[in-house]
Amino acid sequence: MKLPDSLALVKAHRYKWIAIAIVLIALTALPLLIENNYIKHLLIMACVGTILGMTFSMLFSAGLITLGAAAFYAVGAYSSTILVMNAGLSFWAAIPLTLIITAVLALGFGAVFVRNAGVAFVIITLIFVQVVVLAVAQVEFLGGWGGIIGIPRPDPIGKVNFATKTDYYYLILAMLLLTIVVFNALYSSRIGRAWRAIKLSPNLAGTLGINPYRYRLLAFVVGSTTASLAGCFYAHYSQSITPGAFGGWLSIYVQLYAVLGGLEFYILGPAIGALVMTFVPEYLRIVKEWEPIITGVLLLIVILFFPGGILGTIRSPQALNMSNLQSLLKWLKVLLPHNKNG
Amino acid sequence: MVLLRIRNITRVFGALIALRDVSFEVNRSEILGLIGPNGAGKSTLFNVISGFHRPDKGRIFFKDTEITGLRVDRIAAMGISRIFQEPTLFMQETVFENVFSGFHRHYREPAWNAFLHTPAANREEAVSRKKAAEILDFMDLGAMRDELAANLPHGHQRSLAIAIALACGPELLLLDEPVTGMNPSETEVMIEKIRQIRERGVTVLIVEHDMRAVMSLCDRIVVLNLGEKLLEGPPDKIKNDQRVIEAYLGKQVI
Repeated sequence: MKLPDSLALVKAHRYKWIAIAIVLIALTALPLLIENNYIKHLLIMACVGTILGMTFSMLFSAGLITLGAAAFYAVGAYSSTILVMNAGLSFWAAIPLTLIITAVLALGFGAVFVRNAGVAFVIITLIFVQVVVLAVAQVEFLGGWGGIIGIPRPDPIGKVNFATKTDYYYLILAMLLLTIVVFNALYSSRIGRAWRAIKLSPNLAGTLGINPYRYRLLAFVVGSTTASLAGCFYAHYSQSITPGAFGGWLSIYVQLYAVLGGLEFYILGPAIGALVMTFVPEYLRIVKEWEPIITGVLLLIVILFFPGGILGTIRSPQALNMSNLQSLLKWLKVLLPHNKNG
Repeated sequence: MVLLRIRNITRVFGALIALRDVSFEVNRSEILGLIGPNGAGKSTLFNVISGFHRPDKGRIFFKDTEITGLRVDRIAAMGISRIFQEPTLFMQETVFENVFSGFHRHYREPAWNAFLHTPAANREEAVSRKKAAEILDFMDLGAMRDELAANLPHGHQRSLAIAIALACGPELLLLDEPVTGMNPSETEVMIEKIRQIRERGVTVLIVEHDMRAVMSLCDRIVVLNLGEKLLEGPPDKIKNDQRVIEAYLGKQVI
């Protein structure tokens, strides 16, 4: 028997809020339970990864696939570094200023980029992030390939002086929660519905009076600005930045967070993906040099066999791509006897 | 009163002249049929009216405002909704969400308020939800509101496409082959729905191959052949016209 609509809704709603409360308490209590600073560092980087993954998902929700998620992350990191170190602003003043600068830049570049949906956009963003990295590396003022070191910690607020990983953890957690609240408000409004409409059928969306260009541009600006927020944090957390840290690999990682967690889960997907991708390689004690290779193979496996990602596969196991799995098995069958004879 | 005025529209694809100097008018509150053999230019004309194709020559006026060459979403926002020939739906969304998305152009609260979920914006959405449910009931889709659009049978997908278009609140509805491939009883139901849509004050321009449906439904009919307007008039006149019969049957029969 199905519950009446309203009753089922109330129940689902209540469970949702209970789950959210538990997760919030757990996230707040986490650093009190963990002694190991390295694990705290991994947690912090998982939060950064989640924010970046969420920006990928936001563009994806509007039917855009970006391979340049790291570009505005770099812009944010360099911008707040310059504002703090050269203009003498406090970290807290540099953040809003950086967000404004990035939003304006994203509006300018996005106005050109999002005219091209589909493959053209993928390639444009891929090239853009490389150009940003190469351009930054050529500017002496920005430290060239050597980057910038000695970036100050965020200015203390009361007793919180950012001398410990715990302080940084709470800062990035606050940024992450803010991002989640903002993104959720967008997704649950008519703006989010317009994005989905454009993704699912641009033609139909157009006949409903939705201007695909304007909504894609909005997703690009919001996504890029959010990535720059993560960049602000990263610069003052690692206290040194180099252009190399923002290269193409980072964008691939960011993409993997979203794809691995589940592309249809715009918030939870990147969170799960970033957690898994941050912690699993550590515990497998994978040699650093091998990590990109393993990451690449993992990305291929997920796309080919688990297009729904972790969450999508849990929700509906039939989302497993059986046809690809079967063709793989067929290949193995062809290959194995051949190997025996050879 | 003339709602849509099509004047001397020409559209060329490479060497093919898909439409040549086509002119006609759609009056308010009428059901106008657009017929012609395959390749007559009917779908091209729909694409030109709804903004998917730009005409090479000619002009289009909607409520005495020129809409020639406007963007698809601008034309939609003026009150022209179209149904595609192939079921074009948000396949991975529920039936209800499909119709709900159709209300996009009705929201008066600024997007900023929608983002902040202000009480006024929430009220506006609640009104849309209610109206979406009404439209679903009207198109006999109420029982399927939580199904994914992709899982609906073909006939229901057509109904859903019309439901989405109705959510837009159009003054002019362009229907591309709404009953083609339906069995006679389904066709009968759909024809009745289209009549009711007209009674709600919506003007209908319909492309259809099912001649019985067209003849019983339309007030007037425009016949296209090889990109040109062959004839225009009430169904009785079209039915018995030698030129129309020739255009449809071709030379092999004669």
